[in-house]
Amino acid sequence: MSKARDALLNPIVNENPITLQVLGICSALAITNSLRSALVMSLALTSVLAFSNMAISLIRRHLPDSVRIIVQMTVITTGVIVVDQILKSYAPDTARTLSVFIGLIVTNCIVLGRAEAFATKHGVGMSFLDGIGNGLGYSVVLIVVAIIRELLGTGGLIGQPILPLAEEGGWFQPNLMFLLPPSAFFIIGFLIWGVRSWKTAQVETPDYRPLTRAETGAD
Amino acid sequence: MNNDSTLKALLVVGLTALFCSVVVTTTAVTLQPIQRAYQDLERNRVLVGIAGLADSAAALSDREVVSLFQELDARVVNLDTGAYDDSVSADNLDGAASATDPDASVAIPPDQDIATIGRRARRVAIYVVPRADGIERMILPVYGQGMWSTLYGFIALDADLNTIVGITFYEQAETAGIGDQILRADWQAEWTGKKLYDAEGTLRFRVSNQAVDPQSPEADYHVDAISGATVTTDAVSNLVAYWLGEHGFQPFIDSLRERTDDDVQSP
Ligand SMILES: Cc1cc2nc3c(=O)[nH]c(=O)nc-3n(C[C@H](O)[C@H](O)[C@H](O)COP(=O)(O)O)c2cc1C
Repeated sequence: MSKARDALLNPIVNENPITLQVLGICSALAITNSLRSALVMSLALTSVLAFSNMAISLIRRHLPDSVRIIVQMTVITTGVIVVDQILKSYAPDTARTLSVFIGLIVTNCIVLGRAEAFATKHGVGMSFLDGIGNGLGYSVVLIVVAIIRELLGTGGLIGQPILPLAEEGGWFQPNLMFLLPPSAFFIIGFLIWGVRSWKTAQVETPDYRPLTRAETGAD
Repeated sequence: MNNDSTLKALLVVGLTALFCSVVVTTTAVTLQPIQRAYQDLERNRVLVGIAGLADSAAALSDREVVSLFQELDARVVNLDTGAYDDSVSADNLDGAASATDPDASVAIPPDQDIATIGRRARRVAIYVVPRADGIERMILPVYGQGMWSTLYGFIALDADLNTIVGITFYEQAETAGIGDQILRADWQAEWTGKKLYDAEGTLRFRVSNQAVDPQSPEADYHVDAISGATVTTDAVSNLVAYWLGEHGFQPFIDSLRERTDDDVQSP
């Protein structure tokens, strides 16, 4: 049972796909300027991930090596099309703001990454939990970033005013920079820094270090 | 069976493809009516906006869109005869289907197909903003091939059926930030007040990147192309030229204008 718990909960902080593996950054930068988009995107990615992990785990023993990736991509693309169609039918406004980013879940490295690294090697149940877990890990980061960005950029959340705006006599002056993609880049950077200061095991060994004077042989 | 044999690979790929296509098709077919309804709503939202029934169509609730749409007078025009056709109600005319149905549409001669659409419906629905003594605006549906996608929109004409009130698009998939600048309010505003036909009744209106002296008579028939998006704006120019030209609405517009001229001359 604890293995199932690990599969579900580990990706949330310890093995978070965004902050540890730095995957799926593209959509995390693009759609986190509103909490509503972030929530819908999280739900979309988590569903696709759980579905594709399950389906791929189901056929894992029959996957020929030569066409493995093609078959996985076909399954993932199917999940994405279904989710896209459902959003277009039941949340057309949000689907329009998310536009291409739903389609781009196909190329989100988290999905193919989990299919390759986990679903091809584990049972259906575990793969499903792993999909949900990684989806949650992605969602946590998206939601945190979106809360920071929408709150500081507009003074509200999901379109509801929260902080009293300066132009209406309050004290809060919205900072429009938070609505632009670069701010997400900085916030995610700070998040990664924060998580790695807390969980020092996640700090990567540097790829290189400058040679010391003695090592270069210079005198 | 050996997993790495060619037969097995073909089998797995084939079965996966079959299964996935069944899933995708089932979803698309079951959800299509819902999506169609939303598309119609968006189209009608744009329509009541260009009809001048709302200051900001984007801010209207769905309910308001539906009730404002009822204020429009939807009529069917037979493009072949250039006259109103009241034998069929506009509500029952499926524009998308009749544009490709071999019985309900005609092939456009290649030399006239400047909007690159191949065929067009014989009968199309147009919308009239009624006024006590006639019409206030007439809104004509137009479409044509852009750079990557078909551009679907409306052009609104003043009561004289020669002055443009506005143009807008409700469906297009041009590159965001380049081709989709045809949706920019300031560019669309440049169309207001431009004329389609000159005194001889020939279609003179063009969108082009040629500089035109704003004092010259030519300026009345000219809208500047969007720089960097010449391909899409040329397409807009062509689709207007097609739909308001000889093979499109021009015979219909001419016949209406003659009628009103006669009315004026023989009171
Ligand atoms: C990836 C890409 C997408 C483009 N999309 C459009 C488009 O949607 N509409 C358009 O008119 N031009 C688009 N262009 C630019 C056209 O190729 C062409 O350069 C432009 O329309 C010419 O306009 P200009 O004469 O004002 O420079 C695109 C170019 C690239 C590289």
